Amino acid sequence: MTRLRIIRAGALATLQDAGRFGYLAHGIGASGPMDRSAFSAAAYMTGGAGPVGIEFTTAGLELEVEDGACTLGLAGGEFSATVNGKAIAWPGACDLATGDRLTITAGPTGNFGYVRFHGNIEMGRVLNSASTNSRIGLGGAQLSAGDALEVRSAAETERGIAPQQVEDGPIRVIWGLHAEQFSPDVRTAFVTEAFEMTSQMDRMGMRLRDPSGVFASAPNLNLVSDAIVDGDIQILGDGTPTVLMRDHQPTGGYPRIATVIGSDQDRLAQLRPGTKVMFSPITVEHAQTLLRRGY
Amino acid sequence: MNVDLPASRDAPSWPSARLLPLGDQHLLVRFSEGLTQSANAAAIEFAQLLNSSEIPGVLETAPNLVSVLLRYDPEAISFMRLSGEIGLRLKTSRAARALNANQHKIPVRFDGPDLNEVAASVELDIAAFITAHNAAPLKALATGFAPGFVYAGFHSEALRVPRRTRVRQQVAAGSVLFAAGQTAIAATDIPTGWHVIGHTEFRNFHPEQDPPSTIRPGDTLVFEAIK
Repeated sequence: MTRLRIIRAGALATLQDAGRFGYLAHGIGASGPMDRSAFSAAAYMTGGAGPVGIEFTTAGLELEVEDGACTLGLAGGEFSATVNGKAIAWPGACDLATGDRLTITAGPTGNFGYVRFHGNIEMGRVLNSASTNSRIGLGGAQLSAGDALEVRSAAETERGIAPQQVEDGPIRVIWGLHAEQFSPDVRTAFVTEAFEMTSQMDRMGMRLRDPSGVFASAPNLNLVSDAIVDGDIQILGDGTPTVLMRDHQPTGGYPRIATVIGSDQDRLAQLRPGTKVMFSPITVEHAQTLLRRGY
Repeated sequence: MNVDLPASRDAPSWPSARLLPLGDQHLLVRFSEGLTQSANAAAIEFAQLLNSSEIPGVLETAPNLVSVLLRYDPEAISFMRLSGEIGLRLKTSRAARALNANQHKIPVRFDGPDLNEVAASVELDIAAFITAHNAAPLKALATGFAPGFVYAGFHSEALRVPRRTRVRQQVAAGSVLFAAGQTAIAATDIPTGWHVIGHTEFRNFHPEQDPPSTIRPGDTLVFEAIK
């Protein structure tokens, strides 16, 4: 057993595993990592990791090994990492012994980074998952300075998938549950005008700026509350588009014009505030072909 | 891409449904755009049918107010093939299914901050409103919005009030909510635009238990006033 102490953690540093699947009928969404491919890449960098890792933001993360030793892997965006003040590669891996300190700070790109361990953190497991749902305060933990983490040997480890080149170009979407309730002009503008990421982003959703006013005159629809899924782009009553992310509520009544495809959700999660973003519609068949190819 | 399925003429049959992709890993079977009793009943029953007649590749099924959400593995089954499997099930007779509904007693202290205003808006004094509210059992229409949050309906037209114009940022778990011809029960602390008419000790969310909620859509809720 290895004991780690969190020295510094941003407000959105959480424990995550693959997700809390299977409880939608009870009003509970899956949560899980904002960038699933980076979460998997961190396991790959570890050389096989236990199911639970730490997700952190550009606010960074610092931890110290109080007792024992551990191997850990790092991935997601481009952060800067040091061990005892000495820079290590990103994505990368390191072996830490008692007294060693890992410091991660924001780099040039990305919003979310991951630490995975060659071992498991058995903490806050609720309904078969350690994933932290930040909206309802369920599971895992939101980490803060002073927290202790115990890493124990994992019964089995996940190999993960090597870090991949992040694609460029528009974020691909499938037209959404309420697309038909927007006028053809609004739908056309949605896939031809640029939007912009804002600092109003968290695990629940990412608000976009709409400089062309695509949704400025969108009608206030009176809709029956219906299912929400990861990547849904909902238009709030004041016309603000928001992409709903891992901790979204399971149902809601705002109109959803489109849904970001599974292969592009990770990429979107890493776009910094101020980044321009365009949306491009594809068919569900095309999206599923991309998923089967593994992006 | 959307598949419109006409209702079969052989009664009893499923109402017409639309099968819609929600992204590339979910499919929604929607029985209506508006909230009706018949669409709600169809959603509850069709979710039960799907749970008892598994489709390979379907990972999870969840009924909503007027729809059923299916989460599936697109590596195991495509949207079109899944639509075909669902279409077959929508053509089967609806009759054979017995709803195994449970009954839940919900003791309520009618002490909510909006009780006076709600009673006044339906032109009843408070005692008469409470009597009218509890007069008939309600049906659990859906779980959604938040863990264990249950929508129950329907009250008579005379008891229909709109939502509040202002959202309260947090009401406590156990708040009994009222709007749109329905009563809802908050199982966790939530923001809400519904009227708070009372409170209950009943909790429909126990994260340490699996399954974590006990009321299932289609169950009967009997509200009882307590002091």
